[in-house]
Amino acid sequence: MSRGRIELVIGAVLAAILLAVSFAPGLFAGPPEAVEVTRRLEAPSAQFWFGTDETGRDVYARVVHGAGTTLGIVGAAIAVAALLGGGLGAVAGYMGRVPDLALSRAADALLAFPPIILGVVLASTLGAGAGNLILALAIIYAPVFFRVARAAGLMESQRAYVEAARALGHGEWAVLLRHVARNVAPVVILQCVILFPLALQIQAALGFLGLGVPPPTADWGASLQESRNYLTVAPWLAIFPGLALLLAAIAASLLGRALQMRDG
Amino acid sequence: MTEALLRRLGAALVTMVLATGAVFLLIRAVPGDAIGEMLGQSAGDPAAEAALRAFFGLDRPLWSQYLAWAGDVLQGDLGTSMRQGLPVAGIIFDAFLVTLEIGLVTLVVAILVGVPLGLAAGARPGGIFDMVVEGFTLLGLSAPVFWTGMVLLILADAWLGWAPPLIYTPPGISLADNLEGILLPVLALGLLQAAAYAQFTRQQTAALLRQDFVRAATARGLPARVIFGRHVLRNIAIPLVTYAGLILVQILGGVVVVETLFGIPGLGRTLLAAIQGRDYPVLQGALLLAVLVALLVNLLIDLAYAAIDPRVRGA
Repeated sequence: MSRGRIELVIGAVLAAILLAVSFAPGLFAGPPEAVEVTRRLEAPSAQFWFGTDETGRDVYARVVHGAGTTLGIVGAAIAVAALLGGGLGAVAGYMGRVPDLALSRAADALLAFPPIILGVVLASTLGAGAGNLILALAIIYAPVFFRVARAAGLMESQRAYVEAARALGHGEWAVLLRHVARNVAPVVILQCVILFPLALQIQAALGFLGLGVPPPTADWGASLQESRNYLTVAPWLAIFPGLALLLAAIAASLLGRALQMRDG
Repeated sequence: MTEALLRRLGAALVTMVLATGAVFLLIRAVPGDAIGEMLGQSAGDPAAEAALRAFFGLDRPLWSQYLAWAGDVLQGDLGTSMRQGLPVAGIIFDAFLVTLEIGLVTLVVAILVGVPLGLAAGARPGGIFDMVVEGFTLLGLSAPVFWTGMVLLILADAWLGWAPPLIYTPPGISLADNLEGILLPVLALGLLQAAAYAQFTRQQTAALLRQDFVRAATARGLPARVIFGRHVLRNIAIPLVTYAGLILVQILGGVVVVETLFGIPGLGRTLLAAIQGRDYPVLQGALLLAVLVALLVNLLIDLAYAAIDPRVRGA
């Protein structure tokens, strides 16, 4: 097996596990919010694989249930950003002129901020909660999709088949939706995989700063924030949610690389 | 060249105005403002609120507030902090110096670790060392920076029984204390950026070795060391230097979270505190600086490329 193949297989297996855990956490662990103060801050054991936290909750259960929260928010944000940024980008690139100019400047303005700083401002402006976090992340990454889709749309608009479709009497929107969109889509999908690990890190960082989902919902970044005061007393509180983040990012990176290699 | 440069400067200016304008509106759209925070107990007294609002100019329409702020900024006045009563320029300058110190030290670490790794890996693509470096970059780029910082804190305690002070000492007061305070943040950020640097260097090296002139040099019988020194290093030196600019911008962004973890009073913590306290002038100043640095570095990189590669100049 070639090295690219091995990377693809590892990435796919990791992604499959994470998906299964995200969609059916109940199959893998007990309730994440069961408080039992008598067993607080217990080290990892046969009963509690990842130990217990400051209120005696099972860290393993919280990591398992956190997958759906964390990865779900990132996945939804990337999807919204791809639809919004990718759609507008394809239109701008294909149409050119005023819409292109206006949208490009708006995208530039958003891209001028370092992502985490924009995230902090947006998340604290919008307020806590999963929906707002998705919106904040989507606003950060929509301009990236916009740029990629715009370039692709521009290239497609100069192709011979577009001219042929026009000559056949198809309207601009019909050409855009039926032909151009179909050719821009693969670029946008690849970008989803590339941006996933980056968005994941921002999501986790915002959770760590207390700008993510409010407690007691299980979320990897939020768990890391809660672990801060127990770093030396109960290091397992920080180790395991972080490892989960690391694995998810590695899975996405490996898949992204495999896809890029295939496309050459 | 000058025309392209002017056009680029113009675009950067437009971006600047749009970005600061958007932020200006955004932070004022937040429910509850600085006045409410400030009054605390006596909130709800309409007379006091109106007086404070008028004092800070918050009673005027938003566009007039923005123009007043932008006009002051152009004259070099960033305003006065609503919470601390100190000039914003001073607050931000002090914080920026702290962040910049960490950023520059991290950059040095990233280059010292990342470039040799990338060169060695790129020299023999597909070799064992290349795979080890690839594992390192995958790990470094995937681990959240603040989590790396937490793991370092845990390891320092478990292996060395050492806990960093979590207090920032300026290098002017005690260099030793200063270095002790920034050691772990620099290592955490450095691991990530060294991985990025290694990956970039590896790509550049491997791509260069496939070039015709390198193959021609090999065919002429030049020893590998000469090829590497004379052709490869000289050609990748320039991209590596420009990459430093990009990395520095990334570090300055990424340092926000790390500063919170390690209690460092840099730009990131200042920004967070300003958001929590709804201290608009400080927030606007800090964001202006962040955007300015990013735009400036991008402009410099474009210029550097134009200076090196004549083909880029017209674009």
